Amino acid sequence: MIVSRREVFLGRALLVVLMLVTVVPFLTLFVTALHPPGTYPAGLAWPEDPHWSNFVDAFTAANMGALLWSSVLIEIGVVPVTLLIATLAGFALGHLRPPGHRAIFLTFVVGLTLPFQAVIVPLYYQMRDMGLLNTRWAIILPLIGLYMPFAVMWMRAHFVTMPEELSEAARIDGAGTWKLFSRIHLPLSIPALSSLGILLFLWTWNQFLLAVVLVDDPARRTMAGALGAFQGQWGTDIPLLCAGSLLILTPTLLVFLVFQRRFVSALMQGALKG
Amino acid sequence: MVQAPTTGTPGRRRAVEEPATSTEARRRAIRARRLRHGWVGLGLVVPAAAAYAMFVLRPLALTVQYSFYDWNGVTSSTWVGLGNYARLAENPEMLGSIVNALELIVYFSFVPVALGLLTAATIRKLAASRLALVSRTVLFLPQVIPLVAAGIMWTWLLASDGLVNQVLRAVGLGSVTRAWLGDTSTALPAVGVIGAWVALGLCMLLFLSGMTKIDPSLYEAARIDGAGPVREFFAVTLPSVRQEIGVAVTVTVISALAAFDIVYISTQGGPANSTLVPGLEIYYLGFFSRDVGQASALAVVFMLLVLAIVLPIQRLTREGD
Amino acid sequence: MSRTSGSPRVAVVASLGLASLLAATACSAPGTSTAEGGSGTAATSASGDMSCGTEDVTLSAYVETGFPLSAALFEEFTKQHPNVTFDVREDQFAVITQNAPRVLADNPPDLMRLPQVSELAADGLLYDLDAAAETFGWDEWPASQLEQMRVDDDGRRGNGPLYAMGLNFSMTGVFYNKELADQIGMTQPPATLAELDEVLQRAKDAGITPIAQFNGGATGGFAFPLQGLMASYGDPSEINAWTFQQPGARIDTPDNVKAAEHLQRWVENGYFADDVNSLDYSMMMSRFLEGKSLFMFNGDWESGNLDKQMPGKVGFFLVPPLEEGGQVGAMSAPLTYGISARAEHPECAAFFLDWVATDDQARTIAVEVGGSHPMGPADAFMPEVGEDTVTAQTLAAGATIGEANGSMEFIANATGAIYAKSWTPNLQKLVAGEQDGAGLLTAVQADYEREIGR
Repeated sequence: MIVSRREVFLGRALLVVLMLVTVVPFLTLFVTALHPPGTYPAGLAWPEDPHWSNFVDAFTAANMGALLWSSVLIEIGVVPVTLLIATLAGFALGHLRPPGHRAIFLTFVVGLTLPFQAVIVPLYYQMRDMGLLNTRWAIILPLIGLYMPFAVMWMRAHFVTMPEELSEAARIDGAGTWKLFSRIHLPLSIPALSSLGILLFLWTWNQFLLAVVLVDDPARRTMAGALGAFQGQWGTDIPLLCAGSLLILTPTLLVFLVFQRRFVSALMQGALKG
Repeated sequence: MVQAPTTGTPGRRRAVEEPATSTEARRRAIRARRLRHGWVGLGLVVPAAAAYAMFVLRPLALTVQYSFYDWNGVTSSTWVGLGNYARLAENPEMLGSIVNALELIVYFSFVPVALGLLTAATIRKLAASRLALVSRTVLFLPQVIPLVAAGIMWTWLLASDGLVNQVLRAVGLGSVTRAWLGDTSTALPAVGVIGAWVALGLCMLLFLSGMTKIDPSLYEAARIDGAGPVREFFAVTLPSVRQEIGVAVTVTVISALAAFDIVYISTQGGPANSTLVPGLEIYYLGFFSRDVGQASALAVVFMLLVLAIVLPIQRLTREGD
Repeated sequence: MSRTSGSPRVAVVASLGLASLLAATACSAPGTSTAEGGSGTAATSASGDMSCGTEDVTLSAYVETGFPLSAALFEEFTKQHPNVTFDVREDQFAVITQNAPRVLADNPPDLMRLPQVSELAADGLLYDLDAAAETFGWDEWPASQLEQMRVDDDGRRGNGPLYAMGLNFSMTGVFYNKELADQIGMTQPPATLAELDEVLQRAKDAGITPIAQFNGGATGGFAFPLQGLMASYGDPSEINAWTFQQPGARIDTPDNVKAAEHLQRWVENGYFADDVNSLDYSMMMSRFLEGKSLFMFNGDWESGNLDKQMPGKVGFFLVPPLEEGGQVGAMSAPLTYGISARAEHPECAAFFLDWVATDDQARTIAVEVGGSHPMGPADAFMPEVGEDTVTAQTLAAGATIGEANGSMEFIANATGAIYAKSWTPNLQKLVAGEQDGAGLLTAVQADYEREIGR
């Protein structure tokens, strides 16, 4: 490849600028969080006397321990179930192809572009009539349903690429559908499953609308929803708000840094398939 | 990265044609089993379909139904036919929210896609360098954090004493400084900047991964023909990432039309409704004014709008396959 | 070729599925299957005994953040009645306003800070306090204290059953920074509107932001100066007629238009900060506390806070009349708290509300922490207040307003949505120069009629 030195320099410079633009807002958040509580610090200025205690204050003020636990509970309620039923459906629609599979799949695809706001009003009344309002179930159950179009499509796309010979061979060896699924197809779909799992984790953690509408108590919300409540209550104290925001987004950053590779590829594939 | 094939069944056809060597009896056995599998297959779809029907299709149908009623969510409702739609058609606030959403497409979608293409094309040659690897991590950060957090950060950055104005003053542009989110003429673009910031990294990396798959000989050929970077970009790079562009546009356009989190946090639709978007207006109408019917009518129109915009983009992408 | 099923059939099956779903849900109109209204469904131990009893009770409360009054009262109440504890949730007022209907209906608190009550009461979401009023003798208090919280069958306020109570009743006017006032030679509060204009200009010339005000997000704080000006130009009772939805009342009267145009002149003359449309309440407070502004149109709920943070440095006056000694008016409203119709402990909550108005300790807290006049009988106990405090000045101004019959309900409380959906955007347009004074009132009047007409 012919690459001139000027082009390399330009490319590097651009990359650095882009990264700066990405990182500076985080830095501002961090620096502002260190200012004395109750003040309105201007711009990006290191405080004379950094108030590290703001993080502790925000942690206790927002009851962060309970919030974290709530988010974890919601994740536990949403992600495994979604993975399980989407895998079953994806296996059936992509591999077994029962009669009517195309119509069924089409019905799922319809929901792919659906913004959550389109169904939020009836969902509220549905949850109220089910007596689930202001419980974690009010977030968990609708999310499972709302993830179905994407999750089923994702898993179906995976199973469609599995060669038929694999199953035929297994069947001739006398394997039933369950054995076929659990012994042969499930192990092969681990990469697709884990990417989907990461996406679902992230989307659930960051889910805001459902949390704001369906659950009043921040201690029963997702992390993003709790942050909304935190802004509602502590929006009057900017440094504390910034400290709280940082605490709330740190877990996603940690998970991201640990599973970086998979994360990036999952997000990109997610974008491509969605 | 492949677009999921939605109609083709190549693997299947091969399987049916292959057993030419096998006996008729075996073929019949397979068919019988297939029928049984049919029921098993349908059974496996049931849990997913039930969740989907219960929490997506049913509310969807209810949204349509509610839109024909005047209902405050508490007492009993009155049938008003198309009344809510008629009110929607003549209400500048609701119509304005739709216009705002369309304008947001420019910032949430066109800007990051254009900038992403440009930077990806420039960086393409560095794709394997360490800097580029680090950038993969860094540029993804906005995608990972809650949009709410992005809203909080930027509200602060765009305030009258915020960093944006600080920088502008430092470079001698003090006269243009203002409270970006508090000015009716700049609030929507300012919200757009937040969305663009979130989407830029994803778009760029998407294009970059598409570009690394381009056969280098194409570039060599272009260079030998005497093409400069600009012509090279339009002749080689752009056509090769057409599918990625379609994907990026689809994803970002949906995020623009369905914007809620960022607006809710940064402006609540103000000042003077200049950043009101349908998602937020549905929320206000449904849960604040408690005009459930009107909220639902707007939701229906909103949904049709999303489909009307996204489906053509999808079709364009599909043709690339 | 068994699989050339063809897309028509697929489409038919898919649409059949959707259609059957639609049919399944469309058979009954929304709202018919759910509980009829709020009243009657209260699964409460409605014993009629207006007290907290002796067993352990936890009152759930939903209060406004940033104001320590409720917390101080809760603490004192628990001290006196150890069997009662409070489970408190806090939000900013704008959030509470948005949440009020659905929280009252679906997650009923025992005590809740309320916005305007007419629609909430009409929808049966609020506990009827008439029985409590009789038990506790609230009927013998000055009637004006409670009338804003009475709602009749048509959803009009002023008469009918009592649906809420105040923790105290507050009043608005103009706070000023005494140091900055000295600096520009303002030795005493302006006695006429013309004098006020002149002081504003002097402050502006001296490089001081004349007025700190908030007007961002969903809460247009310019309604404060606007209503103050309205009371100077016109008759407070006419403004009240509009706010209480009396038939035929209008907001776009010639007097009010003059007031709105006066406010417009203030905007055009640069008496407010450039970024008012992005300022929220707490930023306004912080700018005033930092001594950056001469004036602030606000209420006496900040008196206690200002006395603590800027002791002796803050003064207060009512928006001055057109001519010296003329009609004055001020927004005066109870700090409204209500009980959900579906609350678990309505009697205990009512007992608490009575205690707030009648207990000496509670009245002291209402004044010292809240800064406003307590509810209750006219001759009830009043705590001592230091003379040079703002609190003393706001209490005195309250007496003036009482004598002048100038108390008004906040124009933003005319209907449930009028503040967020009409006043706020239109006031923000006024600041942006996209709307003039007359246009502002015409637009609000139109929204008002549309909302009431429904």
